[in-house]
Amino acid sequence: MRLIRRWGPWLLLVICLALPVLVKQPAWLDMLQFTFMYAAMSVGWDIMGGYAGYPSIGHVGFFGMSSYVAGLLLVHFGVNIFASALLVGLFGSLVGAGLGFISLRTRGPAFLIVTLVFALTVQMLAENLNALTGGTSGLYLPLLDLPPDVVILPFYYAMLALTVLAVATSTFIRASRFGLGLLAIREDEGKAEGSGINTALYKILAFAVSVFFASVAGALHAQYLNYVDPDLAFEFIIGLNMVVMALVGSRATPWGGVLGAVIMFPISQLLVYTLPDKFSGQVPLVELGILLILIPMFLPDGIIKSLERWAERRRRRPRVPSTDTFAPAPVGAP
Amino acid sequence: MSTAAGRPLSVRNVAKTFGGVRALTDCSLDISCGKISALIGPNGSGKTTLFNCITGFYVPDSGSIRYGETALGGRLPNQIVHLGIARTFQVTRIFKRMTVLENMVVPVRQSNWKSLFSAAIKGHERERAEGLLDFVGLADYWSMQAGNLSFGQQKLLELAAALMSEPDLLLLDEPAGGLNPIMIDRLTGYIRDLNAQGVTFLLVEHNMGFVMRLAHSIAVMHRGEVIAQGEPEAIRSDPKVLDAYLGD
Repeated sequence: MRLIRRWGPWLLLVICLALPVLVKQPAWLDMLQFTFMYAAMSVGWDIMGGYAGYPSIGHVGFFGMSSYVAGLLLVHFGVNIFASALLVGLFGSLVGAGLGFISLRTRGPAFLIVTLVFALTVQMLAENLNALTGGTSGLYLPLLDLPPDVVILPFYYAMLALTVLAVATSTFIRASRFGLGLLAIREDEGKAEGSGINTALYKILAFAVSVFFASVAGALHAQYLNYVDPDLAFEFIIGLNMVVMALVGSRATPWGGVLGAVIMFPISQLLVYTLPDKFSGQVPLVELGILLILIPMFLPDGIIKSLERWAERRRRRPRVPSTDTFAPAPVGAP
Repeated sequence: MSTAAGRPLSVRNVAKTFGGVRALTDCSLDISCGKISALIGPNGSGKTTLFNCITGFYVPDSGSIRYGETALGGRLPNQIVHLGIARTFQVTRIFKRMTVLENMVVPVRQSNWKSLFSAAIKGHERERAEGLLDFVGLADYWSMQAGNLSFGQQKLLELAAALMSEPDLLLLDEPAGGLNPIMIDRLTGYIRDLNAQGVTFLLVEHNMGFVMRLAHSIAVMHRGEVIAQGEPEAIRSDPKVLDAYLGD
């Protein structure tokens, strides 16, 4: 088990790096590219929604806003999106910190509402600032100057890199004092504050880091489609996917969002391609709806934590029946 | 905890109103450093409200609270912890889904940004946490989820965790509430030991035996103000106190 924990992620990374050499079909690479995109965004969402316990439904606002920012930089200034994506991500973080400064000084559901309002406001701006954004007609971006059979590769590797960065960031946060503080906020914010944690600062910082990944993904996505419009960029289901994937995988774990994305996105794509046309369009929504009902009922802590708990119970089960059935469970010494 | 005797706490004419309810009216109190002081009074007399005002959870409507030369008014709870004042809560509050050791490490004071991104549990903090857990008899439970501890153990964990921030002044809100006599004896011993090491205590407590055994000074609250303050023997025979507890 320890061997898998240590080397598993590296082996997985090597496989993912080699996959485009082995899998030539663009449809598969397209699916993997989107899976990575959702994995990165979901892991990012989890930094705020999982560690700090402040779920946001407005991450899609940052995804869409960054699609436009990167698109406009490309159209008006010719800045390549692969060069600007990280900067656009930092811009998203800055806006996130500003939004957090306003909304995160309060506790509870106010934050959820503010994030939703933010997403809707940015979408309305994109629809109505016609001169800048093209309004509802959208913004057409220049195509990448690459042969059609390899054009997907930069996106595939960029999204893979974003996922690796998201998992590394989440792992680092979980092991840091900052992560411990976020978990304390999730458990009892008043007590955390009374323990000396600057809860407002922690939450603002967590939100800024959290939206970075949705922002970078939004920038890359704009170039992938070569087009941005308000409906596509701010599609509510993108934001919902991030949340449900983190719930499926397990909240407050670095790999939860990845597992959720790896399970959910390919299944939804498979159903879209295999079901008759008149049903297939609604498949992602139906899938999300079903999962939103089933997960809290049967896997409230998600797959990873449920498996960990199962393994822990199995590990603690005595192999030889004890004669003293009332003996207390052993507790590890420091 | 600090070996220094800390600073005196001075509460002057503090008032706090919730809607039409006046929880504190012109409340004044002095806490000497290095002593164990107790705050007693009937239910609803404003003891916990005063605790919350001192620790920054409530902002007083008027009056001043000073810790030594430092005014506490307008400071956030986390800033007040950094001044050396820690507290426990009336209803025990621990991070139930975190381990006992993680509960201990959360209150460690952060010195700068760099420490924010350092390892969650550093070697010397772990040693200190283990020492304090040993002190309260919880050393064997360090890896257990805190919510699985018994009620009494959770109280002791809350006390030990509060000590991790190395407070000079520790405010304990009903520390003996719900504990059995054996646990109360243990708690009495811990508080005396810590006080001998220089920690000043302010206790809110209803258990009069516990208060009389432990406190050097007692303040009595009634209807949002301190009506008497002095040594236990003097308080026991104070007519205003008797009237507040037994009067009409």
